[in-house]
Amino acid sequence: MPSIELVNVTKTFNDGKVLAVDNISLKIDDGDYVFLLGPTGCGKTTTLRMIAGLENPTKGKVLIGGKDVEGIPPEDRDMGFIFQHFEIFDHLTVWENVTFGLEMRGYNDDYIIEEAEKALNKVGLLDYVDEYPSIFGNPGLQKLGIARAIATGAKILIMDEPLGSLDPKVSKVFRHELRNLIKDLGLTAIHVTHNQEEALAIADKIIIMRSGQILQMGTPYELYENPNSIFVANFLGETNFLQGFVLKLLEDNKMNIWIRLGGPKIECINFNNKFNLDDNIVISFRYEDVYLFPLDYDFEGSPYDWTNMQNFRADLEASRFIGATKRFYLKLDNGDRFLSIKPGNFEESFTIGEEIIVGIHLNDIHVFKTPENLFNELSLT
Amino acid sequence: MVRIELKNISKSFRRFKALKNISLEIKDKEYFIILGPTGAGKTTLLKIVTGLIKPDSGDIIFNGKKVTDKTSGERNLGFMFENYALFPHMNVVKNISYSGRVHARDSTQTQTLVEQVLMMTLLTGRNDAFPEELSGGMKQRVALCRALLNLEQTKLLILDEPLKALDAGLRMSLRRELLQMAKSKELNLTVIHVTNDEQEAMMVADRIAIMNEGKLIQIGTPHEIYYHPNNLFVANFMSEINYFEGICIKNKEPTWDIHKKSKQGDMFFAQIHEDSVPMPLDLGFEDMYAAFVREDIYHDINHGDEVLLVVRANHFKIRLGDRVKEKKNALLGKIIRRKFMGVFYRFEVLININGKKKIIVVTIPATSEVHNSFVENSEVTIYFPKELGIVFKHPGKEIINEIFKLE
Repeated sequence: MPSIELVNVTKTFNDGKVLAVDNISLKIDDGDYVFLLGPTGCGKTTTLRMIAGLENPTKGKVLIGGKDVEGIPPEDRDMGFIFQHFEIFDHLTVWENVTFGLEMRGYNDDYIIEEAEKALNKVGLLDYVDEYPSIFGNPGLQKLGIARAIATGAKILIMDEPLGSLDPKVSKVFRHELRNLIKDLGLTAIHVTHNQEEALAIADKIIIMRSGQILQMGTPYELYENPNSIFVANFLGETNFLQGFVLKLLEDNKMNIWIRLGGPKIECINFNNKFNLDDNIVISFRYEDVYLFPLDYDFEGSPYDWTNMQNFRADLEASRFIGATKRFYLKLDNGDRFLSIKPGNFEESFTIGEEIIVGIHLNDIHVFKTPENLFNELSLT
Repeated sequence: MVRIELKNISKSFRRFKALKNISLEIKDKEYFIILGPTGAGKTTLLKIVTGLIKPDSGDIIFNGKKVTDKTSGERNLGFMFENYALFPHMNVVKNISYSGRVHARDSTQTQTLVEQVLMMTLLTGRNDAFPEELSGGMKQRVALCRALLNLEQTKLLILDEPLKALDAGLRMSLRRELLQMAKSKELNLTVIHVTNDEQEAMMVADRIAIMNEGKLIQIGTPHEIYYHPNNLFVANFMSEINYFEGICIKNKEPTWDIHKKSKQGDMFFAQIHEDSVPMPLDLGFEDMYAAFVREDIYHDINHGDEVLLVVRANHFKIRLGDRVKEKKNALLGKIIRRKFMGVFYRFEVLININGKKKIIVVTIPATSEVHNSFVENSEVTIYFPKELGIVFKHPGKEIINEIFKLE
């Protein structure tokens, strides 16, 4: 079974001067579609290359299907490769592109024909066998790449920015098709990208890397709802950050915090009683978790339960319709700015410049200790 | 003041027709987006505005004066192209003020201006850095500073895919910065910005011009283009859509409420907005469907005509169980795939039209209720409000295939 495991893997270049991957361990289950995500230079491509056998770890082990693959070359690891610039042979037909690898492996003709047909049928390209790849756009080329991989028996797909060269519009539609194809074929897939939105949209699991280390791994839902660091909260999805300090510790693992420079006082959860009085903290909350109410909203008379909703006032500076969503730009008295997003057909009658009430649910506020250099943590690199 | 008119612009490169008879007007202080897929002719059009290439025919008019034969330098624009074109051997200040010197202003004036734009773009303190020491976002802002310094007289800023090379997160924050800068009281610019990213277009544009294959397809505000696209291409370009093939029914004048009792052959006629009219449709299901359409589209389609009903993935609503009888414009289906995407959940819902299976994509805001209840294999009712259905005359199978082909 093609599960993939990395055990304490380190990779250095230039005689140890450059630390590309710093003692990482991870496990990818059979049939999972996993993303390695992180800013440029985080070590994601090096990690991918070690799994593929294109690089050897300096320290640590790579296990595929439970077996140490040290010394096994890429072509014997049952993997298919899909890169941004597809290594498709332009001078060969679709059929020849798929059969080429099989012929190189010395299979007999009957077997080659059967496997090539099966593979092309599975990706929906059987009608194009006599065409040259030049008739395809990028999505077609990727399907051809997948057909070529599965024809040779690949159970693992290694993909490095496979959607990187597509028009945004094409990529947004094709990525779902790519995911469905990979899931339907039952492949284990590892996909490297720096595009957060793409990872959120199609991954089963995401591994977020930074400076050669793994910051967090889990399902998109887990990472999105419970980021373990300011970096992850900021990197995945769109998040507001406000700085403040702990004003008062309350019962039931709760605390009052005060947003800096005379901002609002907010109640939040003191998870594991991690925070103490006067600690400097950063709170994060998702754009979509920010509710908007007019100043005269009747919370008591409302049919909804607003217990645990933290309310404070803010000025509505601007709003912007962007189709599926509408963005509201808000400003606190202390000058801090944040955003709220609502569905595109959200009905409201706010006027720009108006003061409104902002609500955030207690559970939607994450609290972090203020890092030494907050700007660095929020820089996305 | 800057007002730009393009009149009947055409341009060919050898036999390739890059631009086909484009006419448009850009208003003073407008943030104008030119949007389209790769190869639509966007950059060619931009180069014609800036004077880098000459059109084969047609005129470019700045503030009522013809500039078709003027050189780029004589048009006084600020440019910024995709690759930034910074000089690697010059520091930030030199890169920015280079063009200022070309324009031979006195040096103190240049210096004050440089300091102003650096402050505006949050680059103060980076004066002495060389391009290689800057992040992608900073380089982008340096290039922008340089373009801004060139403006002075015309206040027209030209941006060709200015955010393309950046990380998703950075792109989001810089879009806002760009818009803020363009609309700031000090600058108050007219901007022409080319992009192939519809999200970017919606985020910053006052108006969007959509191009495809050298032609201008539609001009309008983000709202107009999103809710009232001129054709299937525009509808599909702006977000993920579903379409149904159906027939327009226009032979009676009933209201929505009685249609549930009667069968096919009804028509709904109630003026909701001044310019939109309800259009009754037979989509091959048992029930009738209806969507409000623009008046010009209403009059363009006759009883019995084949039509396309387009519903954006995010305009469907979804309920658990069979509630087709309670809802209007409703369909019964089964969730066959679901995916959490952050702000949204994306569902693929399998429906049945007269025995033919069809997959409908539905996206809804991600809440904990959705997370817990709308699981794969659930039976669901999906429905759309009639003001969010978009109707076109059936453009023919070939055009549909052309628009949706991904190969």
